Amino acid sequence: MEISRDAYRAIEDIVGPDNVTDDPAFLDSYAFEWLAELVRPNRSHYMPRPWAVVMPASTREVQAVTKVCNKYKIKIKPISTGWYHWAAPMKDDEPTVQFDLRRMNRIIDIDEKNRFAIVEPYVICAQLQAEAMKLGLNCNIIGAGSSTSVVASACAYFGGGPSSHYMGNNSDNLLGQEWVTPAGKVVRTGSLSSGAGWFCSEGPGPSVRGVTRGNLGSRGGLGTYTKCAIKLADWPGPAEMEVKGRPPGYRLPIGENFRAYTIGAPNWEAWANCYYAIYDNGLGYIFHRQLNLAGANLATALWLTYIDPTKTLNDVETLAKDPEIIAINETARISFQLILAAQSIDGIQLQDKILDEILSQTGCYRVERYCEQDMAEFTNMYMQRLGHKHCNFIWAGGYMGSWMQAGTPDFVKGYVPTAIKGFEDDQQSHLLVECGGDALMGCGSTLGGGGYFGLEQFVSYDPASDASIDACIKHMEDAIADCVAQGIPLGKEQLYLQIGWTDQRIWDGMAKAPQTFVLDFQRQFKDAVDPNYLGDRNYPWLPEKWGEAPAPAQAK
Amino acid sequence: MTIQDYRADALRCTRCAYCKWVPLDLMKSWRFSKGCPSIEYGKFHSYSAGGRLITSLSLMDGRSTVTDKVRDSVFMCNMCGSCDVACKMCRYDMEPLLAMHELRAKLVEDGDLPEAYQPMLESLRTDYNTMGEPHERRGDWAKDLGVKDLTKTTAKYVFHAGCRYSFDGEQSEVARTAVAILKKAGLDFGIMGAAESCCGGKAFSIGVDQQLHKSADHNLAAWKKAGVDTVITACADCYYAFKRLYTQHAGSTIKVVHMVELLDQMVADGSLKMTNPVPMKVTYHDPCHLGRQGEDYVPWDGVEKKIFGQAVVYDPPRPRYNGAFGVYDAPRNVLKAIPGVELVEMERIKEGAWCCGAGGGAREGYPKFSEWTAGERIEEAESTGADALVTACPWCERNFIDAVRGAKGKLEVLDILQLVDMAL
Repeated sequence: MEISRDAYRAIEDIVGPDNVTDDPAFLDSYAFEWLAELVRPNRSHYMPRPWAVVMPASTREVQAVTKVCNKYKIKIKPISTGWYHWAAPMKDDEPTVQFDLRRMNRIIDIDEKNRFAIVEPYVICAQLQAEAMKLGLNCNIIGAGSSTSVVASACAYFGGGPSSHYMGNNSDNLLGQEWVTPAGKVVRTGSLSSGAGWFCSEGPGPSVRGVTRGNLGSRGGLGTYTKCAIKLADWPGPAEMEVKGRPPGYRLPIGENFRAYTIGAPNWEAWANCYYAIYDNGLGYIFHRQLNLAGANLATALWLTYIDPTKTLNDVETLAKDPEIIAINETARISFQLILAAQSIDGIQLQDKILDEILSQTGCYRVERYCEQDMAEFTNMYMQRLGHKHCNFIWAGGYMGSWMQAGTPDFVKGYVPTAIKGFEDDQQSHLLVECGGDALMGCGSTLGGGGYFGLEQFVSYDPASDASIDACIKHMEDAIADCVAQGIPLGKEQLYLQIGWTDQRIWDGMAKAPQTFVLDFQRQFKDAVDPNYLGDRNYPWLPEKWGEAPAPAQAK
Repeated sequence: MTIQDYRADALRCTRCAYCKWVPLDLMKSWRFSKGCPSIEYGKFHSYSAGGRLITSLSLMDGRSTVTDKVRDSVFMCNMCGSCDVACKMCRYDMEPLLAMHELRAKLVEDGDLPEAYQPMLESLRTDYNTMGEPHERRGDWAKDLGVKDLTKTTAKYVFHAGCRYSFDGEQSEVARTAVAILKKAGLDFGIMGAAESCCGGKAFSIGVDQQLHKSADHNLAAWKKAGVDTVITACADCYYAFKRLYTQHAGSTIKVVHMVELLDQMVADGSLKMTNPVPMKVTYHDPCHLGRQGEDYVPWDGVEKKIFGQAVVYDPPRPRYNGAFGVYDAPRNVLKAIPGVELVEMERIKEGAWCCGAGGGAREGYPKFSEWTAGERIEEAESTGADALVTACPWCERNFIDAVRGAKGKLEVLDILQLVDMAL
C-alpha cells in the first residue's frame, strides 16, 4: 500500500524533497512503537505503517499539507517526539501521513515578567526548563519525563507530573494554542485569537481547550497543535544546574534553600494521612512516588546499584539478599519523594518544622538511608530534571502501566491492596519481573494545590519474549477484571489495550458509559472540524445512534 | 557478532529518543541540547540510534530492503557514541553503538558500502594509510629528529604517529613536538617510520572489519619484533583502535598510552615544567575516542540470563561502556598546569561532548555532514569566548580547521601538544 504519486508530489512541493519520505525502512522507524506488541496481531512490534512521513517546518506548511490530505482523503497523524503506540497510525488499511514535527523546535519566547513560554511542538521539557531556570523560572515536567514535548502534554495528552502539586497540571498551565484542524483551518484560542497575546486560554477568542484535550487530549487524533503558551513557575535555585558525578547516577547538590527527602510510612493509612497533611500545609515543590517504580522488594537494591557507576544489574541480585539492604528496604516499602524549596533559609527551615510536625502526627518518617547525601543528591537530580524517567524500562525493556485511576488519597488507598495482590499473583508465572506486588508510582497530586492523583502499577516485561508479552497482556486483562469486581473505573491497562481493538468493540464499550451524550457531542464537534474524518479514534466519539438504548444518566 | 545478535536490543528499544539528546541531566540550554549529529542533520528517525535498531529489525524481518536512503541513514553517522551514553542512562541491556556497527558490517558484507569510501579503502590496501599517500613517505615527518627506527632496532615504547600526523603537513608538527616531549621524558622509544600501518580504526568504523584485522596483525607483529610493550600515540582514533579494538579483535595485550596521559603524569611527577606563560583563553573538545569511548576494554564472553523472573542480566556480568570512565581529567589537568592558560568549558563536555564530525567515516563519505557537525562545535566553542579550541586528536583538529576556514572564522584550533610546546 503506498501513497499516490500525485499526493506525494503535492506534499513534496510544500516541504521540499528532503522533508518527506515513503521509504519502507524509514516508515518502519515510525511504525515501531513501544506497547505495539501488546495490542498487535502476532505480538508484532509494529503499529500500522504510515504511507509517508512528512516534516513541516511551519504552521503554514502544516496547514498546506493538511489540505493536501483532505484533497486525497489521507489520514493525518502528527507526532512531536513520537512515543507510545498511539503515536502511530491506527489501522493497516487506512492511508495515513505521519507528521513528524521535529523541525518545529523553537522556544519562541519566554515572558519572564508574566511567567509563560511560547513553544513549538518539538521543544522538550528539559530544553524549556534549562532556559527557564536562567530567568528564575521553571516548568512542570510531565510524569513521562523531560524528553517529552511541552506542546504534546499541554495540548494533546495528560499533563500531570511530579511538580504539578506546586506548578499545576499542563492542561491548566496551557495559556493558548495554535491548532491546525484536520480540515486545515488554523485556530488560535483564547486571548491570542484577539491579538492580545498568549496570556489566557479562555476568551475573548474561542476556547476549545476542554473539548479538544479533556483529561487525556486527542493524542494526535484531531489535527496538529503547532504552538502553545505554557505557564511557568518560580525557581528558587541557581540559573544552571551544577550536576556532578558520573553516569548514570548523576547527582544534583542540594542548595541551602532546598531539601530532598524520601518519606516512609508504616502503613497505607498513615501514608494517606501524610498526603492530606502535605496538601493542607501547602508543602512540597516536587511531590511524587518515584523510586518505587522498581518494585518495593527491589527498589533499594536497584538504586544503590544505579548510583554506583562500577556496578551492573547483576549486583542487584546480590544486594537484594543482603540483610542490611533488606532492612533498609523495609523502611522504604511505603514511601514517596518530597522536594522542598523556599526563597530563603528561614522559609526552608519553617517547611522543615512543618514537615517534622506532619511526620510526628502521622507516624511517618524520613527514610534515613535515602536521605544520606549520595541518595538525596541523586533523588534531587532525578526529580528536578526527570531525566531518568526511562528507568521505567530498566529491568527488561518493557513496562506497561495498570491501574492509575485518580482521586483522593483515600480513594487511591482503597485500590492499592487489590493492585498489589493482583500483581503479586501474576508474578507467580515468572514471566513478569518479580519485584514485589507494589510497583505503584505516581504524582503526589496532578492538580495544583494537591488533592488528586493516581498510582500506576509498573509491570515490567521482556518485549523480546513472547511468553513475557503474553503474561503482560494477561495481567492487563486481570487488572480489568479486578477493577470491574471492585466497581471502579478501568485504568491505564484499558487505555493501552484498546489501541488494538476494533472500532466496533471500542464503540460498544463507550456506549455503556454513563454519559454517552458527551461522546455524541464530541462527534458533532468532530464533524465540524474534521468533516473528512482524517483524525483517528484517539479523539473519542460515538457514531450517531450507536448504542441507542439510553443509559439512565442519558435518559430524560 | 552479527546484527542478529542485537535483535533483542532492537525489540527492547522503546523509541524513547534519549539517543538524540545529551544526557538530559546535562542539558544547559536549548541551543546546545542535542547529542546526535546524525539525527540533527538527517532529521528522520532512521538517522538516530533507535531508528537504526529498527532498520536492522526491519531488514532482518524482510519488511524492507536497502535503498539509497537506507544506506545514507546507516552510514551518515559519526559513530561518536553520544547515543550510547544517553541510552545507557536508563538501560543496562542495550548496546546501540555495537548494534549500529554490525548493521554497517552487514551492509558491507552485502555489497552496500557507499562508493565514496572506495578511495580510502584502496589507499589502505595499497599504501596502508587512509590519506591516499605513498606509504614510503610515512616516516618523513621525523626524518631529521634522530628517532630510533624500530624496524632496525628495539625499544620499550613505540610512538605511533598515525595517518594524519604522518601525511598532513600542516599537522605533522604535533608529532614532532610529541617526539621532543618523549625525549624529555627520557623514554626508550622509537618509531616504525614507513613500516607503520594505519591503525585500521577508520575502516572498522565503516564496517570493514577485515581491514582492522590486517592492520592489527601488521602493527602487533612489528611491535613484537621490536620488543615494544607500550604504544604511545597523540591520535585519539589510534588510541581507541589499539586500546579497545586490538584488544577485542586481535587479542592484543600491549599497553596503550595517549600523549595527554603521559603529559598528565609528567606534570604530576614534576618532570614536565611549563614556565613560559601562554596568555590564552581556551576551551577543550573531548575527542569521542579518547573521551566516552576511551574506557578500558574488558574481555567478556558471556550470555544473557534472567533474574527475578524477567530482568535481563548477563552471565558473567557484562562490562558496561557508558562513558563514565573516559579520559577526561588528564587533558584538563595539563591545560590547567600551563601558566597563563584559562580553561573555559563548553556546555557539552566529557561523555556529553558533541562530535567533531570526522568520525565514523563521515569526513570521507559525507563531507557536507561532517563539515556541518564541526561547524556546530565551532559555534559552541565560540560561545565560551575562548581564543582557541584545543583538542587531542588530529582528525578533530583537521575537521575544525577546515570548518573555521570555511566559515572565515577567527577561532584558533590547536592540539594540546602545541600549547604545551609554547609553554616549554
